[in-house]
Amino acid sequence: MQSNMEQIFKKLGDLKDFFTYGQKLAPILQKIIDFMQDTVPLLETVNKSIADSTSKMPKAAHQINNVTSATEVATTEILDIVDGVMLDLGEISSQINSFQVKFDKQQTLLVKIAEKYPRDEDVKKLIMNEFDSKYFSDDVKDLSKLVSKINDSMMNITLSLQVQDITTQQLLSVNHLIQSIQEKLSSLLVDLGEKEITAIDERFNNNLSFNPEARYEKNHSSQVLVDSLVEENRSAASQKEIDELFSKR
Amino acid sequence: MKKVILIADDSPTIRKFVSVALSVKGYEIISCSDGMEAIEKLPTQKIDLIITDLNMPNIDGFELISSIRNNSAYRELPIIVLSSLGATEDLQKGLECGANSYLIKPFDPKRVVYEVSKYLN
Repeated sequence: MQSNMEQIFKKLGDLKDFFTYGQKLAPILQKIIDFMQDTVPLLETVNKSIADSTSKMPKAAHQINNVTSATEVATTEILDIVDGVMLDLGEISSQINSFQVKFDKQQTLLVKIAEKYPRDEDVKKLIMNEFDSKYFSDDVKDLSKLVSKINDSMMNITLSLQVQDITTQQLLSVNHLIQSIQEKLSSLLVDLGEKEITAIDERFNNNLSFNPEARYEKNHSSQVLVDSLVEENRSAASQKEIDELFSKR
Repeated sequence: MKKVILIADDSPTIRKFVSVALSVKGYEIISCSDGMEAIEKLPTQKIDLIITDLNMPNIDGFELISSIRNNSAYRELPIIVLSSLGATEDLQKGLECGANSYLIKPFDPKRVVYEVSKYLN
C-alpha cells in the first residue's frame, strides 16, 4: 500500500515537473509561432518574387537573342560594304597598273620620236613639256600607296568587327546561364505548388555553340603563344620522323 | 581555275569575314554552318583547303578533322583551324586530329591570307 502511494507521489512529481517545463516552454513556443506568422508572408513575397523573376527570364533571354541577331545583321551589312570597297580598290590598282603600262609605252614611243628627229628642237621641246616621267611616276607611286593604305584600313575594320563574334559567344554563354537558373527555379516553384513557368525558347541557342572564355584581344598575344606551340610540335614531330626513319634501317 | 576553300563555322559573321579576306585574293569560298554540312559537301566538288572552327553544333571541328583524315582521299588536304579556343590542350588535340595550322579568333585577315597562300600557292 505504502509503495503504491510512493509511486503515485512520484508520478505526481513528474507531472508537476512536466507542467513546470511546459510553463517555461510556452513563451518560447509563442515566440516561434509569432516568428512563423511574421515569416510566412515574407516567404510568400519571396516566392512571388522568384516566380516573377523566373517568368521574366525568357523575355530577357529573348532580348539578348534579339541584340545578337541585330548586331549580326549590322556586321554583315558593314562587311558587304567593306567587301565592295576592297573589290573597287582592286579595280583601282589594276587601272593604275594599266596606266603605268600605257605611260611606259608612250615614253618608249616618245624616245623613238626624239631619236628620229634629233635636230628638231621644237619636237624635243614639245616632248619635254608634255611628259614629265618622274612627276607621273611619283603620282602613280603615291596613288598605289594610298590604295594600299585604304586596303589595310579595310582589313583592320574586318579585324575590329570580329568583336561581334566574340560578344555573341559571351551573350550565348549568359543566355545559357539564364536558362540553367530558370530551369532550377522553375522546378523549385513547381515543388512549392506554383504553376509551371514558360521555358526559354532553346531554338536560337541550340543552333550555335559558344566558348564562354572567348576574349577580344587585338594584340594577338594568344596567337603568338599558339605559333610557338605549333612550332614546338612541328620540331617534335620532325624529330620523331627522323627517329622512325633511322629505326627502319 | 580558282582554288576552292571550304569554311565550316556556325557563326555567319565569321564565314563572311573569311570570305571577304579571301575572295578578294581570287579564291572561291564554300560556306558550311557545321561539321556535318562540311562532310556532306566535301565529296560534291574539288576542295583545295578547309578552314574550320572547333566549337560547332552537330559535328564539331575535332570530329570533322578526324573524319577527313580517316578518309585516304583527303589525307593531304590542308586544314586550318580558326577558333577562339586557345588552351594548349585544344591546340594539341587539334594538331593531333590532323590540322595543319591553328589560328586564334579574333584573327588578322592578312594572317589568314598568308596561311592559305602557304598551302595553295
